[in-house]
Amino acid sequence: MMEEEEQVEGWIEEEESAKEMLERVLRTRPFLLVPPLHRIPLRLGNVVEVVGPSPSAKTQILIQAAVSCILPKEWNGVNYGGLEHLVIFFDLDCRFDILRLSQSLKRRILEANGLRANPNSDEGDADAFNCNPKKETQVEQDKELFAACMRRFLYVRCYDSSEFLAALKTLHYQHQKQRDTHGVDVDLLMIDSIGAFYWIDRASTSLAVMSNDRKSRSFQSVVESIVQEIRKLLLMHPMLVLATKAASLGDKYSINEAKRNSRKWSSENVLDLRTVKSGPQTLPYREYMPSIWQSFVTHRVLIRASDEDSKHHNCPTYLSEWLLPSLDLQDKFIVTDAGVYTIS
Amino acid sequence: MISLREMAPLKSLEREFAIIDSNFQQFCASHGLFSVGDFLIQDLCVLVALAEQHPTSERLKEGITQVLSIIDSQHQPWFNGMDLLEDAQQNKHILSTGCERIDMFLQGGLREGHVTELVGPSSSYKTQVCLQVASNVAKMGGVVFLDTGNSFSPKRIAQFLISDPAGKESDRKIIQKVLASIVCFSVFDIFTLLDVLHQLKSNLKYQTCGQVRLLIVDSISSLITPVLGGSGSHGHALMISAGSFLKRLAHEHNLAVLVTNHMVGGEGGVLKPALGESWKSIPHVRLQLSREHGSNLCSMCILTHPYMGSGKAVKFSIS
Repeated sequence: MMEEEEQVEGWIEEEESAKEMLERVLRTRPFLLVPPLHRIPLRLGNVVEVVGPSPSAKTQILIQAAVSCILPKEWNGVNYGGLEHLVIFFDLDCRFDILRLSQSLKRRILEANGLRANPNSDEGDADAFNCNPKKETQVEQDKELFAACMRRFLYVRCYDSSEFLAALKTLHYQHQKQRDTHGVDVDLLMIDSIGAFYWIDRASTSLAVMSNDRKSRSFQSVVESIVQEIRKLLLMHPMLVLATKAASLGDKYSINEAKRNSRKWSSENVLDLRTVKSGPQTLPYREYMPSIWQSFVTHRVLIRASDEDSKHHNCPTYLSEWLLPSLDLQDKFIVTDAGVYTIS
Repeated sequence: MISLREMAPLKSLEREFAIIDSNFQQFCASHGLFSVGDFLIQDLCVLVALAEQHPTSERLKEGITQVLSIIDSQHQPWFNGMDLLEDAQQNKHILSTGCERIDMFLQGGLREGHVTELVGPSSSYKTQVCLQVASNVAKMGGVVFLDTGNSFSPKRIAQFLISDPAGKESDRKIIQKVLASIVCFSVFDIFTLLDVLHQLKSNLKYQTCGQVRLLIVDSISSLITPVLGGSGSHGHALMISAGSFLKRLAHEHNLAVLVTNHMVGGEGGVLKPALGESWKSIPHVRLQLSREHGSNLCSMCILTHPYMGSGKAVKFSIS
């Protein structure tokens, strides 16, 4: 406590060095330690885009961040290192699997309890808790904790952009209702994935030439409304937004087009780097989200499967690179049931 | 894609909701709003501010609140993690494929609620796996087989069921029962596919076709590739619509969906899936099949799976 006060005073007196500040910020935002998000001090109100070709573990990163958010900091004397906050998950790809989340959550609870996780728990996880030789009360407590965490995960599935907009427009009420029920705030708003309706909305744009005075619905206007609604929500309830975006890295697009695109992007967004350095060659990705979304995004990290065949303990490895802000470093990480881990 | 309710003009809501009266409709029309759908891309704070300048502002604001509550009924319901887990454990069962090695590999088989894709070059046993799964699932539930290339074979199904071709009376009964549980449709273009899927959905809704557990489309890529290409986006939109509809059917009616995707020569003669990058967001599970030359030994490799690492592979044979 004393130490904390001193730190606050130090900050007021502007005696905090950048290094100290970074340490402080990183400490107060533990959930962002999920790689590769751990590199940047993120705060509520930021909009982080996780972009990459499928499969590149984008959804897995969201799930691990969600688990850290719904776990309590401490419970019954055990330190779980979570935030005990709510997570809102918009599933636009409609292929979220709850079993993945429940497996990871169980694994994390068992790990924090200091018990060796059951090696068979990735097959038929239903009885993972029961397989451990421990007292019945402990099992009951684990189940109670598990259920409380799972209830902090709020999920809605959207089959088209109308459903997404309808859910966003009424999220404010849902948000308040849930906050009253649980007594804790929503910290994370997740969207998986933001470009899901691109093709359908683009096609309906050309069909929507109806009467003149009618508002025409296009991909552009849909994304504008999405950004507008999220922006309003963030003003009322500061949350961290994590959105995935599928993008093809690519062999399909000629280098010329890539160059042209990156020039266009840089003039639009005052951003130079939209290509990934990967040894000698550069890998551009094709941007398809309207500029209104791009300028709404405050942080962007690119993820892809590692080209090398080398596997780390039988897990496929992934590479991440921060594009916004651009950091000249690459993280290599693996995803397991128990979490996301960087490897060197 | 757009529901009728959403497209319905505000006028049609007048009878149900008195607050949406002609005055309110006039106000909305003056701001380009004619249907509930138009409200979706309207900033409602701005609209409320505009309403406040009117003499009837209170009634207008009530009308906006009414439209907002109609909008609230137009998205899927919210669930928490426990609700989802309960649904998964009670309603989304695992269906055995009938091939022991594949079942072991996939932690039991195909999961209801999932769209599973088999991708592989020609004669990599994609259809054989489909027929094998169909013959096994049909022992306990209904199977819908959408056949795009006349690949469905009752004879082959019978072979999977009975190893001894001499055929006993009891065997014949099993074959009859299994074949009676499989409904096969020939589908030769994507529009017919969408029609059949919509028909299937309404049949499932009114329970007129028994307990269907499995839907197979062999092959989905042969229906979609003809509409892709060109500069327009309609082909892609049709592809995503069909894929999204399959996911919806799988989830809402607890079906396992199995589709096949063939491979074509890409740059430098390297084979690549006929349905490429944009399709990848559709299936829950993607499995690549390949067959060793001149043998009936086949290997299955995980490309994508919600809870299993990609890259794992198994060898199996189909007799």
